[in-house]
Amino acid sequence: MQDPQKHSEEDLVRLLQAQDQAAFSYLYDNYAGALNGVIFRLVEDIQLREDILQEAFVKIWNNFKQYDSSKGRLFTWMVNLTRNLTIDILRSKGYKKQQKISHDENSVSSYQDKNFGVEQFDSIGLRKQVATLKPDQKVIIDLAYFSGYTQEEISKEMGIPLGTVKTRMRTAIMELRKLLEFS
Amino acid sequence: MEIKDIISSGLLEAYVMGFATAEEISQVQAWAHAYPEVADELSAIEKSMEKYAFANSVEPARDLKSKILDKVSTNNSATKRNVVVEATPKKVYSMSPIWQRAAAAAILLLIASIVVNIIYYNKYKDADLAYQQKNEELIAQTDKLKSLDQDMSIVQNKYSRPVSLEGLPAAPEATAKIFWMKNTGEVYIDPSNLPEAPEGKEYQLWGIVDGKPVDGGMILTSKKGNRYHIQKMKNFGKAEAFAVTLETKGGNPTPKGSMFVMGKL
Repeated sequence: MQDPQKHSEEDLVRLLQAQDQAAFSYLYDNYAGALNGVIFRLVEDIQLREDILQEAFVKIWNNFKQYDSSKGRLFTWMVNLTRNLTIDILRSKGYKKQQKISHDENSVSSYQDKNFGVEQFDSIGLRKQVATLKPDQKVIIDLAYFSGYTQEEISKEMGIPLGTVKTRMRTAIMELRKLLEFS
Repeated sequence: MEIKDIISSGLLEAYVMGFATAEEISQVQAWAHAYPEVADELSAIEKSMEKYAFANSVEPARDLKSKILDKVSTNNSATKRNVVVEATPKKVYSMSPIWQRAAAAAILLLIASIVVNIIYYNKYKDADLAYQQKNEELIAQTDKLKSLDQDMSIVQNKYSRPVSLEGLPAAPEATAKIFWMKNTGEVYIDPSNLPEAPEGKEYQLWGIVDGKPVDGGMILTSKKGNRYHIQKMKNFGKAEAFAVTLETKGGNPTPKGSMFVMGKL
């Protein structure tokens, strides 16, 4: 992280609650790529992706008072807001949930190609680490996290019992944590 | 539930992944509140998912940031400064792209609807015109049928006595028919085989009573009139014969023009 004005999450939240525009700019610089990654997985249309990201940030700004740090991290709140907004918009346009990931095995490297902005995080290092995640573990995480699938939908998609979805998810995330431990 | 059971339940992961039920969400929040270990575990899961999201980040287009900041600062200054002027344009500006598209789609739909309306209105007008034409035809046919019926009722009347008037040297081809009603003395003429009267002239019917011609009235031959239909003439009482002459328009008290047809009763 090269940014000299690095904020701790607590500072950032406090500044945003005070409607500090510089903090918002910082928020955008640091989180837009990660949130856009979620939109990217769900939406094919470039213009629509931009519209949704724009709406997501406006919503984050306008509804920031609703964020409660005692219930979870800032990014968790933002990513849920963004994912739900994206799914709502797609639904209103008559799209069905779709998973772009499974059709694109080389997704990690292909995202890298499109990644023309300034890297605020060492995401290349992270990419390498998560690339070693087992495919069936990656799929279950991606279905929930990027495609917004419910447990029932994951159970149907993967052909595993509903009760197994939670334990399988836990194993996958444990594996992910192990891979990310040293970053 | 013991802490290690909570941690291994998979509920914390479900919570972070956003697919926990409402019940599970409040359960997890209560646990996180009660047990620091659970809160730490939750936070660790969140952090790893956060890193995973960053590993999958896709940088947005460069100009998007300024658009978003513009939008946010516009919203902000409008509310903070209580700007009265330009309040309406600000509102328009802050319309989200989704709604802009919706509005554009609505306008397109409206235009399409107007076009369809115009097409259908024209079709309706054509159909209406065709209907009116058919209706007029039908009325004309009905009128024709009515007058034919009238003609037939005269011809078929049991008291009707037909008298053929034959063509004379002035018009050897011409004929006419008189229907004389024995019971009432009414006189009808069918002039359909008389040549068309020239401009300024009209046919006049004469009854020969006691050897003298008596005016029987003018025969209508105008195109719009009842030319081809049997028409009622004046009553003679008892006539020996009938004749038709061509007279100047309006007729004469005594016949002056040439005689076209004649027939005896």
